[in-house]
Amino acid sequence: MSELIRLDKIGVEYRIHGHAPKKVLESLDLTIAPGEFIAVCGQTGCGKSTMLRLILGAERPSAGRVLIDGLELPRPDRNRGYVPQKYSLFPDKTVLDNITFGPEMEEFGLLRRLTPRFQRRRRELRDAAYGYLKQMGLRESDANKYPDQLSGGMQQRVAIAQALIMRPKILLMDEAFSALDPATRADMQKLVRTLWAETGTTILFVTHNIAEALYLGTRVIVLGKDNPDASAKVVFELSVPDSARSASGYPCRDEIERMTKLIEDAAMSGRLEVEMAEFAG
Amino acid sequence: MLFRIDASPNRATAWTLSWFLFAAGIALYFYTAHNRHVENPEDKVVPSLRQLGQGLSDSILKPDSEQEAPDDQATMSLAKKFFTSMLWTDTVASAKRFAWAMLLLIPAVMLGLHMGMFPVFGQFFLRFILFFDKIIALSVLPILFIAFGIDELSKIMLIVIGVTPTIILDTFNLAKSVPQEQIVKGFTLGAQDFGVAYRIVLRQIMPRVLNSIRLNLKSIMLFLFAGEMIASQDGLAFRIALLRRHMGMNVIIPYVLWVALLLFLVDLTMRVANRKLHPWFREA
Repeated sequence: MSELIRLDKIGVEYRIHGHAPKKVLESLDLTIAPGEFIAVCGQTGCGKSTMLRLILGAERPSAGRVLIDGLELPRPDRNRGYVPQKYSLFPDKTVLDNITFGPEMEEFGLLRRLTPRFQRRRRELRDAAYGYLKQMGLRESDANKYPDQLSGGMQQRVAIAQALIMRPKILLMDEAFSALDPATRADMQKLVRTLWAETGTTILFVTHNIAEALYLGTRVIVLGKDNPDASAKVVFELSVPDSARSASGYPCRDEIERMTKLIEDAAMSGRLEVEMAEFAG
Repeated sequence: MLFRIDASPNRATAWTLSWFLFAAGIALYFYTAHNRHVENPEDKVVPSLRQLGQGLSDSILKPDSEQEAPDDQATMSLAKKFFTSMLWTDTVASAKRFAWAMLLLIPAVMLGLHMGMFPVFGQFFLRFILFFDKIIALSVLPILFIAFGIDELSKIMLIVIGVTPTIILDTFNLAKSVPQEQIVKGFTLGAQDFGVAYRIVLRQIMPRVLNSIRLNLKSIMLFLFAGEMIASQDGLAFRIALLRRHMGMNVIIPYVLWVALLLFLVDLTMRVANRKLHPWFREA
């Protein structure tokens, strides 16, 4: 199996002045192949966001290595897209400018923005951005709105478009839908599944909701710890085969119940949030 | 009714209430002026409406009495009279210093931004500027006069020393408070360090920086006036200080109101510009 991301004996500890160092992750190993859809879940404070930030390059491990395509990368770059739960859009830019921001930044420095070529390219990018808007299920009339004029779900749609226009190798989503109401959330989950299938982007999706993880991921990774002071580790790992999915794309109800039980047993504390109601449809 | 939190006065009442103190102040002034003029028709402490009118017309139609009047003073057009008048020349002199101070706030904002964005830069300057911020600008005024002489430079330096540390530190804090997500997002979208600093962080904090400058307008004016009152040959504050010696209340009062009006207009302009430039920004 070829590998895109490899976590090699990762340890993370935070040093807070005057306290003993707090271990968050310890000897964590993980390999992710291109095209996988990894859903990471676990209870609050178990280091799932830390793991995402390590892969993103926004944080460095205290021990071990994070390899992307075999390389240790010092900081976030254009190959790794990022959709956080909050502050996912630039508040000072319109929807359209938010989407075209990446390519514009990458292709044109401050001075090159003054050239006529920039104006031409900008028009192309705007057309492309309209295409993404449509794909995300937004209207053209939303293009010139500012983020705070959009609902939470629409903001996240724009944020996904903003990340995807860069065609990143990896898309990292950190609790991206956790602030949304259940109906919007279900729509967004469908959207991301569709986009994943269409683009083949490797996605790592962090959530505290098991049902969401089971629906989205081709592989579900559960992080947990033995006791509150211990560091977190992978307590459960599970592939969700297509055969377990019904025609709607959701795993069958029996499958979900079985897998949720497995995960809950594994995660012990039982504080993992399960929203079975979402599967009623 | 008076102390009810849920009181909702109608428009007429609200209008009357909000203008009442103005009306009362003006009425009290002229009542006092009238009483004093009954006792002494030449009273200068509380000038009457006629004296105020005289002072105002002298200030806006005649040049500074210490300077030579132009030969064609009598035949000048009203506009020309105004643009050679005492009030106008004083305003221009003060406005120039004010403009210099505002211009020097641009490097202050840039310094604050860089300190907030680049930790090495921040470490280099922060402690020193925190120290600098605690120096009472007026206490170094004598040093400034000795070091820079008593001309323009020392007055502008007074404003710079008094106000820029506040603006630098404020911009620094604003830049620091931009959520980490936004900066990481910038990197993932192909931006480099300066791209993140200028095109993401600076643009986001700009309306707040402008608000911070608006709040500091009064400090800027305060230092400007202190400099002008102590050592100057022209300017609005110089005139007010000079006329104090002649008990020229009939000119001082119009000057004070004129300065207040100017400051209000500068503030209003900045507020409107802020709203027009940053339509996305929602906060008072």
